[in-house]
Amino acid sequence: MVRILVAEPSYLVRKGLSTILNELKTVTQIEEISSADEIREALTSIIPNMIIINTTISSMPQVEEDIRKHTPDAAVISIFNTPIPKNTNEKTLSVFDDKSVLINKLRSQVKSVQQTYIQQENSEELSEREREVLQKIALGKTNKEVANELFISTHTVISHRKNITRKLGIKTVSGLTVYAILNQIISMEDIS
Amino acid sequence: MLITADMKMADLIHLDFQLLAVIQRIGINLGFREKTIDEVCKENDVDTDFFIQIARSFHDKDYFPKEKFFTFKAEWLIHFLRRTHQCILEYKIPEIEEKIKLMVEDLKETTRNYELIKNFFTEYIRELRVHMELEETQVFPYVLALSECIESKTKTEGFEKYFNEYNIQRYLEDHNDIEEKVFDLKNILIKYLPPPTDSCKYNSLLFEIFKLEKDLQDHSKLEDKVLIPKVKLMENELENL
Ligand SMILES: [Fe+2]
Ligand SMILES: [Fe+2]
Repeated sequence: MVRILVAEPSYLVRKGLSTILNELKTVTQIEEISSADEIREALTSIIPNMIIINTTISSMPQVEEDIRKHTPDAAVISIFNTPIPKNTNEKTLSVFDDKSVLINKLRSQVKSVQQTYIQQENSEELSEREREVLQKIALGKTNKEVANELFISTHTVISHRKNITRKLGIKTVSGLTVYAILNQIISMEDIS
Repeated sequence: MLITADMKMADLIHLDFQLLAVIQRIGINLGFREKTIDEVCKENDVDTDFFIQIARSFHDKDYFPKEKFFTFKAEWLIHFLRRTHQCILEYKIPEIEEKIKLMVEDLKETTRNYELIKNFFTEYIRELRVHMELEETQVFPYVLALSECIESKTKTEGFEKYFNEYNIQRYLEDHNDIEEKVFDLKNILIKYLPPPTDSCKYNSLLFEIFKLEKDLQDHSKLEDKVLIPKVKLMENELENL
């Protein structure tokens, strides 16, 4: 499933894009937002693989930084409110593009996202390192403690945690603990 | 279909039965006969426009007139949020709790797993109660007092006494996410628990959890996107009196 975030102030354009994306028949989850203040929340809650963003939003302070920070791997496609020359970069759209241009650009982008995404995420299995991190988190250890025990940086622990959450669909520590017990990564006795 | 004041209230429920929750929480009883939304609202002392805006936004997730919501009285919003708390704590949560209990009893062999779910949910309910209690005992009374001050154009005695030091920013800082655990619970049940024998019971539990999640999302949206920014506006207004 490709998760797409559409960040576009105009309701009409937003709906138009969603309609075209739905026509592509790739299984996608589309989330729409209309302003820069909603972006951080959307990035962390749906963790999009692809972001289609109007330049009036991406040019707001902090927005690009947030995207880089929360979803560094997402493909970012810009929408311009002005006409753009033909044959430009596939990662730019204009509200004046006609249907065939839009469909082509979007399809090839979604396809390429899907390929990388399938390769990386079909291995829903946790890596060895992620299992180790999960085990320690489930035992109630803080990011810092985990970092010390595994001789890695806190930053690395956080990025492992993000991947664990994305792969398992579990966000909270208590949820991860339940998962760890169900899968015998830790035992019930360990926590009591 | 766009919800309008001249629509019959009964038709509204046929259009979207989930709106029954809105009708109940805003303080309207069933038994509408052929009356329109406007007529029913007037009979129940509910502002028709407030009802319409809430109903439209719960019906259509693209529809959310933030600015318009700011114009409604804080009291109406708080009344609605309170009724939602009540409904969730007194009805929805016990229902899910009961279903989980039944499941644990049903599945003797794998009980340990289900016991785990039960404990997870018990912990969650505790957090939910703390969250809602804080809102009921501090935040809502603060907002009501603030609104009184604005109406009387002066800081009332009660406000000076109890809330002079308080502001909405403090609540905002620890207004935590109450949907995350429900999200986790859902995924654990769908993806990781060994399948139960009675899937009918199991599905109905999952169904309740999905509904709870949606309910909490709508609720938090009203708090975060309407109540908090509105209170900030009110705080400014009080400063500038
Ligand atoms: Fe609340
Ligand atoms: Fe809340």
